[in-house]
Amino acid sequence: MGGALPPALLCAALGVALSFAAWRSVIVGLALVTVSAVAGAFAPLPESWRELVLVGCWLTVAAVAALVHLPSGVGLPLASVAALLAGGFAGAAVAAAGAPLDLSIALPCALLCLPGRWLVVRGRGIVVKVLSSWLIAVAVLAAALSLAVPTAGYEPDHME
Amino acid sequence: MRVNTADRGPVAFAAVLCGLLLAGPALAHEGTGLAGGFVAGLLHPVTGPDHLLAMVAVGLWGAFLGRPLVYVLPVVFPTVMAFGGALGMIAATLPPVEIGIALSVLLLGVAIALAFRAPVWAACVLVAVFAIFHGYAHGQELPSAADPLGYSVGFVLSTGFLHVVGIGLGLLKDRPHGALITRGMGGLIALAGVYFTGAALLGA
Repeated sequence: MGGALPPALLCAALGVALSFAAWRSVIVGLALVTVSAVAGAFAPLPESWRELVLVGCWLTVAAVAALVHLPSGVGLPLASVAALLAGGFAGAAVAAAGAPLDLSIALPCALLCLPGRWLVVRGRGIVVKVLSSWLIAVAVLAAALSLAVPTAGYEPDHME
Repeated sequence: MRVNTADRGPVAFAAVLCGLLLAGPALAHEGTGLAGGFVAGLLHPVTGPDHLLAMVAVGLWGAFLGRPLVYVLPVVFPTVMAFGGALGMIAATLPPVEIGIALSVLLLGVAIALAFRAPVWAACVLVAVFAIFHGYAHGQELPSAADPLGYSVGFVLSTGFLHVVGIGLGLLKDRPHGALITRGMGGLIALAGVYFTGAALLGA
Protein backbone atom coordinates (compact mmCIF):
# COMPACT_ATOMS: atom_id res chain seq x y z
CA MET A 1 0.00 0.00 0.00
CA GLY A 2 3.01 2.29 0.32
CA GLY A 3 5.47 3.59 -2.24
CA ALA A 4 5.30 6.88 -4.06
CA LEU A 5 1.59 6.83 -4.90
CA PRO A 6 0.07 7.97 -1.55
CA PRO A 7 2.41 10.97 -1.09
CA ALA A 8 2.17 11.80 -4.80
CA LEU A 9 -1.62 11.91 -4.70
CA LEU A 10 -1.46 13.93 -1.49
CA CYS A 11 0.79 16.51 -3.11
CA ALA A 12 -1.48 16.49 -6.18
CA ALA A 13 -4.47 17.16 -3.89
CA LEU A 14 -2.62 20.13 -2.40
CA GLY A 15 -1.80 21.36 -5.91
CA VAL A 16 -5.47 21.10 -6.83
CA ALA A 17 -6.50 23.04 -3.70
CA LEU A 18 -3.87 25.74 -4.27
CA SER A 19 -5.30 26.28 -7.74
CA PHE A 20 -8.01 28.28 -5.99
CA ALA A 21 -5.54 30.34 -3.91
CA ALA A 22 -3.84 33.67 -4.51
CA TRP A 23 -0.21 33.66 -5.72
CA ARG A 24 1.10 34.53 -2.27
CA SER A 25 -0.71 31.55 -0.75
CA VAL A 26 0.53 29.31 -3.57
CA ILE A 27 4.16 30.22 -2.94
CA VAL A 28 3.83 29.89 0.84
CA GLY A 29 1.98 26.58 0.42
CA LEU A 30 4.61 25.12 -1.93
CA ALA A 31 7.41 26.17 0.43
CA LEU A 32 5.66 24.73 3.48
CA VAL A 33 4.81 21.43 1.84
CA THR A 34 8.42 20.97 0.75
CA VAL A 35 9.87 21.72 4.16
CA SER A 36 7.33 19.65 6.10
CA ALA A 37 7.57 16.71 3.69
CA VAL A 38 11.37 16.57 3.96
CA ALA A 39 11.15 16.87 7.75
CA GLY A 40 8.46 14.17 7.89
CA ALA A 41 10.46 11.81 5.68
CA PHE A 42 13.24 11.68 8.24
CA ALA A 43 10.96 11.26 11.25
CA PRO A 44 11.70 8.05 13.13
CA LEU A 45 8.32 6.30 13.02
CA PRO A 46 7.61 2.99 14.74
CA GLU A 47 6.70 0.15 12.37
CA SER A 48 3.34 -0.19 14.10
CA TRP A 49 2.34 3.30 12.89
CA ARG A 50 2.49 2.30 9.22
CA GLU A 51 -1.22 1.62 8.71
CA LEU A 52 -2.22 4.64 10.79
CA VAL A 53 0.02 6.96 8.78
CA LEU A 54 -1.31 5.64 5.46
CA VAL A 55 -4.93 6.03 6.54
CA GLY A 56 -4.12 9.56 7.73
CA CYS A 57 -2.47 10.21 4.38
CA TRP A 58 -5.58 9.14 2.44
CA LEU A 59 -7.97 11.06 4.69
CA THR A 60 -5.79 14.14 4.23
CA VAL A 61 -5.93 13.66 0.44
CA ALA A 62 -9.75 13.70 0.62
CA ALA A 63 -9.88 16.68 3.00
CA VAL A 64 -7.36 18.80 1.09
CA ALA A 65 -8.90 17.99 -2.31
CA ALA A 66 -12.32 18.96 -0.95
CA LEU A 67 -11.05 22.51 -0.27
CA VAL A 68 -11.72 23.35 -3.92
CA HIS A 69 -15.42 23.55 -3.08
CA LEU A 70 -14.99 26.42 -0.61
CA PRO A 71 -16.93 29.33 -2.08
CA SER A 72 -14.38 31.90 -0.92
CA GLY A 73 -11.36 30.02 -2.26
CA VAL A 74 -8.33 28.97 -0.25
CA GLY A 75 -6.91 31.81 1.86
CA LEU A 76 -3.37 32.07 3.24
CA PRO A 77 -4.08 30.54 6.69
CA LEU A 78 -5.95 27.60 5.18
CA ALA A 79 -3.34 27.11 2.46
CA SER A 80 -0.61 27.07 5.12
CA VAL A 81 -2.42 24.53 7.32
CA ALA A 82 -3.24 22.34 4.31
CA ALA A 83 0.37 22.49 3.10
CA LEU A 84 1.75 21.60 6.54
CA LEU A 85 -0.69 18.69 6.88
CA ALA A 86 -0.06 17.46 3.35
CA GLY A 87 3.70 17.74 3.69
CA GLY A 88 3.72 16.14 7.12
CA PHE A 89 1.66 13.17 6.05
CA ALA A 90 3.46 12.82 2.70
CA GLY A 91 6.79 12.73 4.50
CA ALA A 92 5.48 10.37 7.15
CA ALA A 93 4.08 8.06 4.46
CA VAL A 94 7.50 7.96 2.82
CA ALA A 95 9.16 7.31 6.16
CA ALA A 96 6.70 4.58 7.09
CA ALA A 97 6.11 2.82 3.79
CA GLY A 98 8.36 4.18 1.08
CA ALA A 99 11.85 5.24 0.11
CA PRO A 100 13.27 8.78 0.54
CA LEU A 101 13.51 9.09 -3.25
CA ASP A 102 9.70 8.77 -3.43
CA LEU A 103 9.55 12.42 -2.36
CA SER A 104 11.27 13.42 -5.58
CA ILE A 105 8.28 11.91 -7.40
CA ALA A 106 5.65 13.17 -4.99
CA LEU A 107 6.62 16.80 -4.41
CA PRO A 108 6.53 17.89 -8.09
CA CYS A 109 2.87 16.80 -8.12
CA ALA A 110 2.09 19.88 -5.99
CA LEU A 111 3.04 21.94 -9.05
CA LEU A 112 -0.31 20.86 -10.45
CA CYS A 113 -1.43 24.17 -8.96
CA LEU A 114 0.22 26.01 -11.89
CA PRO A 115 -1.93 24.59 -14.72
CA GLY A 116 -4.82 24.41 -12.23
CA ARG A 117 -4.59 28.10 -11.43
CA TRP A 118 -4.27 28.89 -15.13
CA LEU A 119 -7.58 27.09 -15.68
CA VAL A 120 -9.27 28.74 -12.69
CA VAL A 121 -8.26 32.22 -13.81
CA ARG A 122 -9.77 31.50 -17.24
CA GLY A 123 -13.06 30.36 -15.74
CA ARG A 124 -12.36 26.66 -16.26
CA GLY A 125 -12.13 25.83 -12.55
CA ILE A 126 -14.62 23.04 -13.02
CA VAL A 127 -11.90 20.92 -14.65
CA VAL A 128 -9.93 21.22 -11.42
CA LYS A 129 -13.03 20.39 -9.36
CA VAL A 130 -13.66 17.25 -11.41
CA LEU A 131 -10.03 16.24 -10.90
CA SER A 132 -10.43 16.82 -7.16
CA SER A 133 -13.48 14.53 -7.11
CA TRP A 134 -11.36 11.78 -8.71
CA LEU A 135 -8.70 12.27 -6.03
CA ILE A 136 -11.35 12.14 -3.29
CA ALA A 137 -12.78 8.94 -4.78
CA VAL A 138 -9.38 7.22 -4.88
CA ALA A 139 -8.58 8.42 -1.35
CA VAL A 140 -11.86 7.17 0.12
CA LEU A 141 -11.41 3.79 -1.57
CA ALA A 142 -7.80 3.53 -0.44
CA ALA A 143 -8.68 4.49 3.15
CA ALA A 144 -11.48 1.94 3.15
CA LEU A 145 -9.06 -0.66 1.77
CA SER A 146 -6.74 0.02 4.68
CA LEU A 147 -9.51 -0.18 7.24
CA ALA A 148 -11.97 -2.72 5.91
CA VAL A 149 -10.44 -5.99 4.84
CA PRO A 150 -7.02 -7.55 4.35
CA THR A 151 -6.72 -7.73 0.57
CA ALA A 152 -5.32 -10.72 -1.16
CA GLY A 153 -3.25 -8.46 -3.40
CA TYR A 154 -1.06 -7.25 -0.57
CA GLU A 155 -0.52 -10.56 1.14
CA PRO A 156 2.58 -12.55 0.26
CA ASP A 157 1.78 -15.30 -2.23
CA HIS A 158 3.16 -18.84 -2.23
CA MET A 159 6.36 -17.73 -3.98
CA GLU A 160 7.30 -15.19 -1.27
CA MET B 1 -17.44 6.99 -50.62
CA ARG B 2 -16.91 10.69 -49.92
CA VAL B 3 -18.64 12.03 -46.85
CA ASN B 4 -19.96 15.56 -46.88
CA THR B 5 -18.63 17.68 -43.98
CA ALA B 6 -22.19 18.36 -42.82
CA ASP B 7 -22.87 14.63 -42.64
CA ARG B 8 -19.88 13.79 -40.47
CA GLY B 9 -21.78 14.15 -37.19
CA PRO B 10 -24.41 11.50 -38.01
CA VAL B 11 -21.74 9.26 -39.54
CA ALA B 12 -19.62 9.53 -36.40
CA PHE B 13 -22.71 8.83 -34.30
CA ALA B 14 -23.50 5.77 -36.40
CA ALA B 15 -19.91 4.58 -35.99
CA VAL B 16 -20.09 4.97 -32.19
CA LEU B 17 -23.45 3.21 -32.16
CA CYS B 18 -22.11 0.29 -34.21
CA GLY B 19 -19.17 0.04 -31.84
CA LEU B 20 -21.52 -0.15 -28.87
CA LEU B 21 -23.77 -2.71 -30.51
CA LEU B 22 -20.87 -4.88 -31.60
CA ALA B 23 -19.32 -4.85 -28.12
CA GLY B 24 -18.97 -8.23 -26.45
CA PRO B 25 -21.90 -9.39 -24.33
CA ALA B 26 -19.92 -9.67 -21.08
CA LEU B 27 -21.43 -7.61 -18.28
CA ALA B 28 -19.37 -5.69 -15.77
CA HIS B 29 -19.12 -6.79 -12.17
CA GLU B 30 -18.93 -10.47 -12.97
CA GLY B 31 -16.20 -12.25 -11.00
CA THR B 32 -12.95 -10.52 -11.71
CA GLY B 33 -10.86 -12.91 -9.64
CA LEU B 34 -7.32 -11.69 -9.24
CA ALA B 35 -7.52 -8.79 -11.62
CA GLY B 36 -4.31 -6.90 -12.33
CA GLY B 37 -3.77 -3.37 -11.07
CA PHE B 38 -4.09 -0.04 -12.83
CA VAL B 39 -4.70 -1.36 -16.36
CA ALA B 40 -7.36 -3.84 -15.22
CA GLY B 41 -9.12 -1.04 -13.34
CA LEU B 42 -8.85 1.24 -16.34
CA LEU B 43 -10.35 -1.37 -18.67
CA HIS B 44 -13.01 -2.68 -16.30
CA PRO B 45 -15.70 -0.01 -16.83
CA VAL B 46 -15.01 0.06 -20.57
CA THR B 47 -15.45 -3.68 -21.02
CA GLY B 48 -18.77 -3.86 -19.13
CA PRO B 49 -21.56 -2.34 -21.22
CA ASP B 50 -23.84 -1.69 -18.24
CA HIS B 51 -21.23 0.38 -16.44
CA LEU B 52 -20.04 2.00 -19.66
CA LEU B 53 -23.51 3.09 -20.73
CA ALA B 54 -24.39 4.40 -17.25
CA MET B 55 -21.20 6.49 -17.10
CA VAL B 56 -21.69 7.88 -20.59
CA ALA B 57 -25.35 8.56 -19.76
CA VAL B 58 -24.38 10.57 -16.66
CA GLY B 59 -22.19 12.84 -18.79
CA LEU B 60 -24.74 12.98 -21.59
CA TRP B 61 -27.60 13.90 -19.28
CA GLY B 62 -25.45 16.50 -17.54
CA ALA B 63 -24.55 18.09 -20.88
CA PHE B 64 -28.19 17.97 -21.91
CA LEU B 65 -29.26 19.72 -18.71
CA GLY B 66 -26.55 22.35 -19.08
CA ARG B 67 -24.98 24.40 -16.29
CA PRO B 68 -24.47 23.68 -13.45
CA LEU B 69 -25.28 19.98 -13.83
CA VAL B 70 -22.87 19.47 -16.73
CA TYR B 71 -20.06 19.69 -14.20
CA VAL B 72 -21.84 18.93 -10.94
CA LEU B 73 -22.86 15.40 -11.95
CA PRO B 74 -19.29 14.31 -12.88
CA VAL B 75 -18.17 15.64 -9.49
CA VAL B 76 -20.98 13.97 -7.53
CA PHE B 77 -20.72 10.57 -9.19
CA PRO B 78 -17.11 9.53 -8.41
CA THR B 79 -17.25 11.00 -4.92
CA VAL B 80 -20.39 9.08 -3.95
CA MET B 81 -19.20 6.02 -5.89
CA ALA B 82 -16.21 5.82 -3.57
CA PHE B 83 -18.48 5.72 -0.52
CA GLY B 84 -20.50 3.00 -2.27
CA GLY B 85 -17.20 1.18 -2.80
CA ALA B 86 -16.48 1.37 0.93
CA LEU B 87 -19.95 -0.09 1.61
CA GLY B 88 -19.13 -2.91 -0.80
CA MET B 89 -15.86 -3.66 0.97
CA ILE B 90 -17.56 -4.06 4.32
CA ALA B 91 -20.36 -6.02 2.59
CA ALA B 92 -23.09 -3.71 3.88
CA THR B 93 -26.61 -4.82 3.01
CA LEU B 94 -28.05 -3.13 -0.08
CA PRO B 95 -30.94 -3.96 -2.41
CA PRO B 96 -29.79 -6.23 -5.29
CA VAL B 97 -26.89 -4.35 -6.81
CA GLU B 98 -27.15 -5.70 -10.37
CA ILE B 99 -30.77 -4.56 -10.54
CA GLY B 100 -29.74 -1.12 -9.25
CA ILE B 101 -27.04 -0.86 -11.91
CA ALA B 102 -29.40 -2.00 -14.65
CA LEU B 103 -32.04 0.48 -13.50
CA SER B 104 -29.45 3.25 -13.57
CA VAL B 105 -28.89 2.58 -17.29
CA LEU B 106 -32.65 2.40 -17.92
CA LEU B 107 -33.66 5.52 -15.99
CA LEU B 108 -30.79 7.68 -17.20
CA GLY B 109 -31.57 6.63 -20.77
CA VAL B 110 -35.25 7.45 -20.30
CA ALA B 111 -34.37 10.82 -18.74
CA ILE B 112 -32.23 11.71 -21.78
CA ALA B 113 -34.74 10.36 -24.30
CA LEU B 114 -37.61 12.32 -22.76
CA ALA B 115 -35.38 15.40 -22.27
CA PHE B 116 -36.38 15.33 -18.59
CA ARG B 117 -35.19 18.58 -17.04
CA ALA B 118 -34.78 17.53 -13.44
CA PRO B 119 -34.10 20.15 -10.74
CA VAL B 120 -30.45 20.30 -9.72
CA TRP B 121 -31.03 18.61 -6.36
CA ALA B 122 -33.13 15.82 -7.89
CA ALA B 123 -30.56 15.07 -10.59
CA CYS B 124 -27.81 14.99 -7.96
CA VAL B 125 -29.77 12.66 -5.68
CA LEU B 126 -30.66 10.33 -8.55
CA VAL B 127 -27.08 10.13 -9.82
CA ALA B 128 -25.76 9.73 -6.26
CA VAL B 129 -28.07 6.76 -5.64
CA PHE B 130 -26.89 5.13 -8.87
CA ALA B 131 -23.28 5.87 -7.94
CA ILE B 132 -23.76 3.95 -4.68
CA PHE B 133 -24.73 0.82 -6.63
CA HIS B 134 -21.86 1.11 -9.12
CA GLY B 135 -19.40 1.81 -6.32
CA TYR B 136 -20.73 -1.07 -4.25
CA ALA B 137 -20.13 -3.49 -7.11
CA HIS B 138 -16.57 -2.23 -7.54
CA GLY B 139 -15.98 -2.28 -3.81
CA GLN B 140 -16.93 -5.93 -3.65
CA GLU B 141 -14.33 -6.67 -6.34
CA LEU B 142 -11.53 -4.52 -5.00
CA PRO B 143 -10.41 -6.73 -2.13
CA SER B 144 -9.76 -9.60 -4.52
CA ALA B 145 -7.83 -7.56 -7.07
CA ALA B 146 -4.10 -8.15 -7.31
CA ASP B 147 -3.33 -4.47 -6.79
CA PRO B 148 -6.47 -2.87 -5.30
CA LEU B 149 -4.99 0.61 -5.08
CA GLY B 150 -3.81 0.68 -8.70
CA TYR B 151 -7.11 -0.92 -9.69
CA SER B 152 -9.14 1.78 -7.93
CA VAL B 153 -7.05 4.58 -9.47
CA GLY B 154 -7.63 2.97 -12.89
CA PHE B 155 -11.36 2.62 -12.63
CA VAL B 156 -11.90 6.06 -11.12
CA LEU B 157 -9.94 7.57 -14.04
CA SER B 158 -11.80 5.43 -16.55
CA THR B 159 -15.15 6.39 -15.03
CA GLY B 160 -14.21 10.06 -15.24
CA PHE B 161 -13.16 9.76 -18.87
CA LEU B 162 -16.45 8.03 -19.71
CA HIS B 163 -18.27 11.01 -18.19
CA VAL B 164 -16.19 13.28 -20.40
CA VAL B 165 -17.13 11.17 -23.45
CA GLY B 166 -20.80 11.49 -22.44
CA ILE B 167 -20.44 15.26 -22.09
CA GLY B 168 -18.79 15.38 -25.52
CA LEU B 169 -21.69 13.47 -27.06
CA GLY B 170 -24.18 15.62 -25.15
CA LEU B 171 -22.71 18.81 -26.58
CA LEU B 172 -24.01 17.66 -29.95
CA LYS B 173 -27.34 19.07 -28.76
CA ASP B 174 -26.22 22.55 -29.79
CA ARG B 175 -25.83 21.50 -33.42
CA PRO B 176 -28.55 21.18 -36.03
CA HIS B 177 -30.68 18.12 -35.20
CA GLY B 178 -28.32 17.58 -32.25
CA ALA B 179 -31.05 17.45 -29.64
CA LEU B 180 -32.78 14.73 -31.65
CA ILE B 181 -29.53 12.75 -31.90
CA THR B 182 -28.79 13.01 -28.18
CA ARG B 183 -32.36 12.02 -27.33
CA GLY B 184 -32.01 9.13 -29.76
CA MET B 185 -28.86 8.05 -27.93
CA GLY B 186 -30.84 8.24 -24.70
CA GLY B 187 -33.49 6.00 -26.23
CA LEU B 188 -30.88 3.43 -27.23
CA ILE B 189 -29.34 3.56 -23.75
CA ALA B 190 -32.82 3.04 -22.27
CA LEU B 191 -33.35 0.02 -24.54
CA ALA B 192 -30.08 -1.44 -23.32
CA GLY B 193 -31.27 -0.68 -19.79
CA VAL B 194 -34.45 -2.68 -20.43
CA TYR B 195 -32.29 -5.62 -21.49
CA PHE B 196 -29.98 -5.29 -18.46
CA THR B 197 -32.94 -4.94 -16.09
CA GLY B 198 -34.62 -8.00 -17.56
CA ALA B 199 -31.41 -10.00 -17.30
CA ALA B 200 -30.82 -8.82 -13.73
CA LEU B 201 -34.39 -9.63 -12.68
CA LEU B 202 -34.18 -13.08 -14.25
CA GLY B 203 -30.84 -13.68 -12.59
CA ALA B 204 -32.02 -12.43 -9.18
